Order: sequence, then C-alpha cells, then structure tokens
Amino acid sequence: MKYESQSVAKLYFIAAIGLFVGQIVFGLIMGLQYVMGDFLFPEIPFNVARMVHTNLLIVWLLFGFMGASYYLVPEEAETELHSPMLAKLMFWVFLVAGALTILGYLLVPYAALAEMTGNHLLPTMGREFLEQPTITKIGIVIVALTFLYNIAFTILKGRKTVITLVLLLGLAGLAIFFLFSFYNPDNLVKDKFYWWFVVHLWVEGVWELIMASILAFVLIKTTGVDREIIEKWLYIIIAMALITGLIGTGHHFFWIGAPEYWLWWGSIFSALEPIPFFMMTVFAFNMVNKRRINHPNQPAVLWALGTAVMAFLGAGVWGFMHTLAPVNYYTHGTQITAAHGHMAFYGAYVMIVLAIISYAMPMMRGRKACNSAASQIVEMWSFWLMTISMVFITLFLTGAGILQVWLQRFSDEPMSFMVVQEKIELFYWMREGAGLVFLIGLLLYVYSFFIGGKERTVEDKV
Amino acid sequence: MSEVFTKSMARNIFYGGSVFFFLLLIALTFQTHEAWPERDNHENLTDQVRHGKELWEVNNCVGCHSLLGEGAYFAPELGNVYQRYGNSTDAIKAFIMSRPKEGIEGRRSMPQFNFNDEELEAIAQFLKYVSGINTNDWPPNIQG
Amino acid sequence: MYIQESIKTKYPPGDLALWIFICAELLVFAIFFAAYAFTRASNIELFNQYQATLNTDLALLNTIALLTSSYFVVSAIISIKENKQKQSTRFLFLSIIGGCAFLIMKMTEYSHHMSEGINLTTNLFYMFYLSLTFFHFMHVILGIMILLVLWLNTRKGLYTADNHDGLVSGGAYWHMVDLVWLILFPLIYIMK
Repeated sequence: MKYESQSVAKLYFIAAIGLFVGQIVFGLIMGLQYVMGDFLFPEIPFNVARMVHTNLLIVWLLFGFMGASYYLVPEEAETELHSPMLAKLMFWVFLVAGALTILGYLLVPYAALAEMTGNHLLPTMGREFLEQPTITKIGIVIVALTFLYNIAFTILKGRKTVITLVLLLGLAGLAIFFLFSFYNPDNLVKDKFYWWFVVHLWVEGVWELIMASILAFVLIKTTGVDREIIEKWLYIIIAMALITGLIGTGHHFFWIGAPEYWLWWGSIFSALEPIPFFMMTVFAFNMVNKRRINHPNQPAVLWALGTAVMAFLGAGVWGFMHTLAPVNYYTHGTQITAAHGHMAFYGAYVMIVLAIISYAMPMMRGRKACNSAASQIVEMWSFWLMTISMVFITLFLTGAGILQVWLQRFSDEPMSFMVVQEKIELFYWMREGAGLVFLIGLLLYVYSFFIGGKERTVEDKV
Repeated sequence: MSEVFTKSMARNIFYGGSVFFFLLLIALTFQTHEAWPERDNHENLTDQVRHGKELWEVNNCVGCHSLLGEGAYFAPELGNVYQRYGNSTDAIKAFIMSRPKEGIEGRRSMPQFNFNDEELEAIAQFLKYVSGINTNDWPPNIQG
Repeated sequence: MYIQESIKTKYPPGDLALWIFICAELLVFAIFFAAYAFTRASNIELFNQYQATLNTDLALLNTIALLTSSYFVVSAIISIKENKQKQSTRFLFLSIIGGCAFLIMKMTEYSHHMSEGINLTTNLFYMFYLSLTFFHFMHVILGIMILLVLWLNTRKGLYTADNHDGLVSGGAYWHMVDLVWLILFPLIYIMK
C-alpha cells in the first residue's frame, strides 16, 4: 500500500463480505421455499426473502466497487485521497441506510413500509430490484454523488490514467442511470421500458466499465505487463461492450409492449454481446502468460482469471443462449433467465470484487504483498468450491428452465405453472444442494482471512 | 514510426463508438414513443387502474409473480391472468380473497392481504388493463 | 507486438484497433443483411410490392457519390505518400463533399417517406429498409466527421510521407461505410 488513505477501502471490503454472507443465507432460504412452499411462511414470505437477497447483492457490490475505487484511485493518481474523512462518513451513512432498509423489509409488511416512508409522495417502490423506499433511493444518490466528488477530485489533483478515467466514467454512469429509478409512470409499458435504463444500462453497460478497469488494475499489479498494452486493450474491450450493449438493451423490449422492430434490433446487437466478454478472457490469459513478475498473491490472479472466464460463460454464453427473439419467446420469464442471472452476476461482478479484495486486503492488513501460503490455499479452495457450485446451480436451473419451457409452453398439452413447478422439483432440490456447497465455500473464504502465518514468497509452494 | 495498434486509436473508438450508439439508442427510443399509442392500451388507463398499479407496487407482487415475463418466477405469470380466468375480474378477486392467512401446509401460498372491495376491484382492473397491451403475442399460450 | 514496427509496409494498413472495430461493424451489418434476406425470402410479395415505392435513381446517384468520395480518399493517401499535403487536403475536401451529397440525397428520400407517414412500424419491409439505411446513414455522418478531422490534420501538416497512419485508418473506415452501401444498395433497392 503506497498511500495511507487507501486504507479506507478496508471498511468497505469488510462490509461487502459481511453482506455477501447475508445474501447467500437468504438465497438458501428462497431455494428451500421453492421446494417447501410453507417454509417460514408467513413470517418471511418468498417476496421478502427475494428482496433481501437481491438488494443485499446490489448493496454489497456497490460497497465493493466503492472500496475498489478508494483503493486503486490514490495508487493510480499517485496522491492521497481527496477526503478520507468523507469516505469514512459516507461508509457509515450507506451502511446504516442499507441496514435500516433491510430491517424494514424483514420487520414490517412491505405495504406498511411504503406508507411509513411516504411512498405516495413519489411512488418508486415495488418494482423488481428497485424495491427500496424512496428515501433510501435518495440516500443512495447522495452517497453516490459524495463518493463521485471524492474520487473525481482525487483524480483531478493527481496523475490521470486510463484506468481511473474509465472507472470514473463507469461510476458517473452508475449514478446517472440510477436516476431513472425515480421515474415511475402510471403507464406500465413506459414504466417497464425505462426500468431497463437502470437495470440493463447498469449491468450490461456502465458496470462493465467498472469491472474492466478493476480487472486491468489487478492485472497490471500482478503480472507486471506494460501499462500501455493493458490500457489499449481496456479501451477496445469497453468500446465493444458499449457498442453491443447499448442497443442490446433492445433484447428486453421484445414482450413488454414496445414496437416490433426491437425484436430485430435487440436480437442482432445482443447476439454480439458475448464478444467483449470473449475478448476479456483472451486478454486476461494473454497478460498472465506474458507476465514479467511472479506475484506471490496467487488467489488474486486466480480470481482475475476466474472472473474473465465466468463472465464470458455466464453473461456471454448463457446470455446468448436465450437472447434471440424466437428463442426468448419461449424462455422469457422462466428459470433459464434465473440461471443466466446467477452465473453472470457471480462471474462478472462478484468475482471481480473478490479479486480486488484478494489483491488489496493483505496489504491493507499490514503485509507486504500477500497472505501466508496456508491462507492462500484455503482461499483457492473457496474459489473452486464457490465457482464449481455456481456452475452447478446454473446447470440445474437451466435444466429446470428447459423442462419448464417444454411442459408449460411448448408441448401439445401445456400444463399450468404450479403443476409444472412440482414436476421440476428435483432440479430445485439439486440447486439447493449446490447452494449449500456455495455457502461452505463462502465460509471458507471468510475463514481464510483469519489464518495467520509467515507471508508467502514466490519460492514457497502453494 | 507508427505502431500497429495505438492507444489513441483505441480511445477514439471507445469515445466515438459509445457516443454513436448512445445517440442511436436515443433515436430508437424516440421512435418507440411514437409507436406506443397504438400498443400500450392507454385508453383503458383509468384512475382505478392507476390505483391498482399502486397496490401492485406497494404489496410487492412482483416479488413472487412475473408480469409480462418480468419479476420473480415463484408464482404464475399475471400478464394474461385475466384471460386465463375466463375474462373475469370477479374470478381474480375471488382468488385473492380466498388465500388462507396461515398458508397451506407444505405448499407455496399467496399471503392474505386483507384488501377491501374497492382495492380488489382496482387490482383486478389493473390486471385486465395489462392483458390489453400489445406484447407481440407473448406469452405463447394461456398458461403464461 | 513491437516486432512489426520495423517492417516498412505493414499489413493490415492503418491501426489494428480500427480493424477490430471495422470487423465488429461489418459483423453487425452482415447479420442485419442475413436477417433481411431470410425475412424477404418468406415475404417476397410484400417486399417486392414496397420495394417498388423506393427511389432507385436517387439511390444510384448516392452510390456514385460514395464511390467518388472513396476514390478521393485514395487519391489523398497517394498524394500524402508523395508528400503533397496541399493536394491531399484538396482531395479530402472533395471526399467530404461527396459524403455530404449522400446525406442530402438520403434526407430528401427520408422526408418523402415521412410525408407519407411511413415509419419503422408501418410494415416489415419498411422496418428493414429504414433500420438498415438509417443505421448506415449514421455511419456516413460519423465517417464525415472522421474525414473532417483528417482534413484539418492534413491542413495543419500533421501527416507526412513517413507518418500517415491516422489518414490510412480513417480512410479504411470510410471505405467500409462505402462497402456496406455497395451491398445495401442492390440488396434493398434492386434485388427482385
């Protein structure tokens, strides 16, 4: 760690991991509710568990992105953070606001929460992933703007690199497109259309800029490859991501009341969305092969390669599978979507945050470059456990989805939704099993932070 | 001497390409607005339907159901529930009312929301309005 | 990655980054064309009926405008290789004129369609016709903007016989825009 103020990232990373554990616990609750319908009913109905699961994911990824920015921007800009105090303050504001929101979901009926927080004044609640009370949304905007201010002024006073510029663009886009969450017209078609301006333009747009810049930073640090080479690849990859992803938004407009030409525009451009992810995989492996140094922090390299591969599989391959309109006609709103969502989020965003945590955390905890060999072994075990179980979760959900499409939509005598759900129960049980393995992997990951010992050097075997 | 692959060219492509495709997205969005009046069933968007949408939101229905395929996949699709229930708002209301407070043993069950008559009617009318949106023939069949 | 620097005539000419971009663009157009061809095959009557409403003469003039413009870009590069900056600037200016001529003629065509109330949702043929030509139209605008930058740079004397990679790269992009139209024109206007 070169600058003292980088250490504010530690708070953010610890919170991120804590909330990650919460997210997985609620995921398991939901998984069980899929097969044991009355589990925790009516105390925690499925919709509440789902809100907690998805909102925790978003919040902890945001904590991860902010932590990553606070860590890498001072180092890239070669200057202390503009205001470490503000960074700490905003951390607590965000954490308390997030915790209160989650408690609100769990302790009061959602309708009561809406009334308590004055949703009727500016109705924004009750839409998928944007369930937060309006006041929380305003809080998110304030936190995001303060954070942007802090990061932007740090970049302005220091060295400007491609990595920080792309990161800043991504973060600014994140804040700007979130503003669409305040637009909730009565007309359902418009509501749904602009809802995607938050959701799609986040995860298939500006978040990819954030992801790519963090990946580029970790690769520069762990491979020692010339910055020039990494930076130009960064530009080309994110260019492809936006070129395909912006019009690719159209693959969400097929069946929600938007005109028919979106079937063509959406299919054509989203069919190309795997390209940037493929380039990212090639790029990451190339850089590691061309490495000039052997960095002693092996898990960090593993996460970086892992994120490239899994993002390509989850977002690229699993996305392509059902993005063409004639296919999507049958798969839209089935477990296939769920399968894609799980692997894409894990591959592209969970793993990149874990990569930067893995790289930065040892140094913020006073080590020179990495943890002990024993700790690294446990962390790499957790990598494989989580990644492989996520592959299986995806495969089981895909199986469930294919069967669902067949029984409910494609066969000669289509069955009703609930009947089909019972028929595909076996897949849900297997998914829950894979989910448990994922939790074990995650707990191992947490445990790896508590393994001490002598810092690993390159000569030590892992 | 020139390089094979320069950073400045990569940068230009990124900025140029992003702006280009963002403008294209805006143009297509504009065109979408022009096309909506014929598809979005806005003529049936009454105050009652508006109230229904609000109830749909503040009870987080989308946390279990999907609507036009978007939402959770835990409970049936509701974009065409009006047709599935025989074009009857009364049938929809009866179902919502009939949900047991303590759930059904071993099975998924919709919570009992204790709506009054006026609220039930609003929700049913909202679902009827949704079923009139032109969705390019989605879902493939009545099962949703 | 640096080996090729020493080679005098490299392949491909211009910047590799740009070639990646050109390939991606051509891929989009190729898929769009394929979609058009397939859809047309199953709706031949509809497509033929509305194809007849298009102004083929104007489209032919447009083809000539783009081809001429491309020719001037080639001439500009040849001039720069002989270190004739003045001449190169003039050729680039002419190629910009060609591009603008295309835009004006295409806009007359569009305004004609608009006055008839035709848009993307009118029918399948117009959906494809407008999508493809408008997507290409935007590429022409981008191409002209690139040519303008090249023109300004050449005027400032930034390119020489030894160093004109930017000019070659920008020129390659303009040729791509031209090439796409050369497929688009017969596919949409002529093919029966």
